[in-house]
Amino acid sequence: MRCKKAQGLLSPYLDGELPVMGRKMFESHLNDCANCRAEFDEMQALHNLFAGVERFSAPYGFAARTVANIETAKAWTVLWTSPLIRVAGVVMVLIIIGIGILSGNLLERTFSPQGAGKLAISFSLDVFNAAPPDSLGGVYLAMTEGKSEKL
Amino acid sequence: MSQDPEELSLIDRFKNGETSAFEELVLKHQDRIYTVCRHMLGNIHDAEDVAQDTFIKAYHNLKNFKPSASLYTWLYRIAVNTCLDYRKKPFFESLFKRSEEGDVYTLEHASDGPSPEKLYEIKQLSFALQKSMARLSIKLRTVIVLKEIEGLSYEEIADVLETSMGTVKSRISRAREELRESMKYFTEQK
Repeated sequence: MRCKKAQGLLSPYLDGELPVMGRKMFESHLNDCANCRAEFDEMQALHNLFAGVERFSAPYGFAARTVANIETAKAWTVLWTSPLIRVAGVVMVLIIIGIGILSGNLLERTFSPQGAGKLAISFSLDVFNAAPPDSLGGVYLAMTEGKSEKL
Repeated sequence: MSQDPEELSLIDRFKNGETSAFEELVLKHQDRIYTVCRHMLGNIHDAEDVAQDTFIKAYHNLKNFKPSASLYTWLYRIAVNTCLDYRKKPFFESLFKRSEEGDVYTLEHASDGPSPEKLYEIKQLSFALQKSMARLSIKLRTVIVLKEIEGLSYEEIADVLETSMGTVKSRISRAREELRESMKYFTEQK
């Protein structure tokens, strides 16, 4: 057996995955080849290292929590597929639409031709007089208007 | 693959509507599935979330499970695929790269207390193994976890990953080769 082929068999040999015939040929090569032997020993050492790695346990209560989550999800699914809940949902939507229509009617009355006039007045900037007649600005304007006419 | 009769009974009971049988199945396999998730994801919380997702998926699909197949390779398959999907999430990569993986590969030592030199050597080896495993691609890491930590055969790993035995053999060889090189590098760094 050549080294190139033997190196491809290092892992399967280590893992006991070689058939009997292949195993014997590989072992024979290992006995004769110091390089392949050294590589195998390194791989064996790495494999032994993993054997010493700490194994984990699932956190305390993991199974109970998992089953509880499954049951909760099932309960929600049952709730949302319940005919009563669906009817209640449709009624809610209709109520919201109704409120919207009523609000729209109120707004329309506000924005009607009669209402629009009042609205225009309420939003007109003419309401804001920067210099009312009884203010200092208003008195000043009255005085200067008289003078400019004379000029 | 032979099936455990007790397990077959639990599956039958579940299929007949006895959902409490499912909790017994979880108890039977939770350590294995949690361990795989922990080794693939590193973080304790992510591992628990994904392990839980694995069993939730199993719950919804157990009614279609064929008794001739192996339950634990079926569960491993769900766990591995769920871990891979979890790792694809955009936020995972930034978290994974930023945070230290934590002591996932801690080597056990004798309870009667090794010498300080031995303890130091164990600590160094744990560190080197931790770093070496982190450098492996997810595909190679998966096969090494299934082989070295979980002790599955090549055939079982091929079943879990839904691939050929030739691919499994090749990945394990490559993974070990890369680990050997990495371990040399990290153990020589002192």
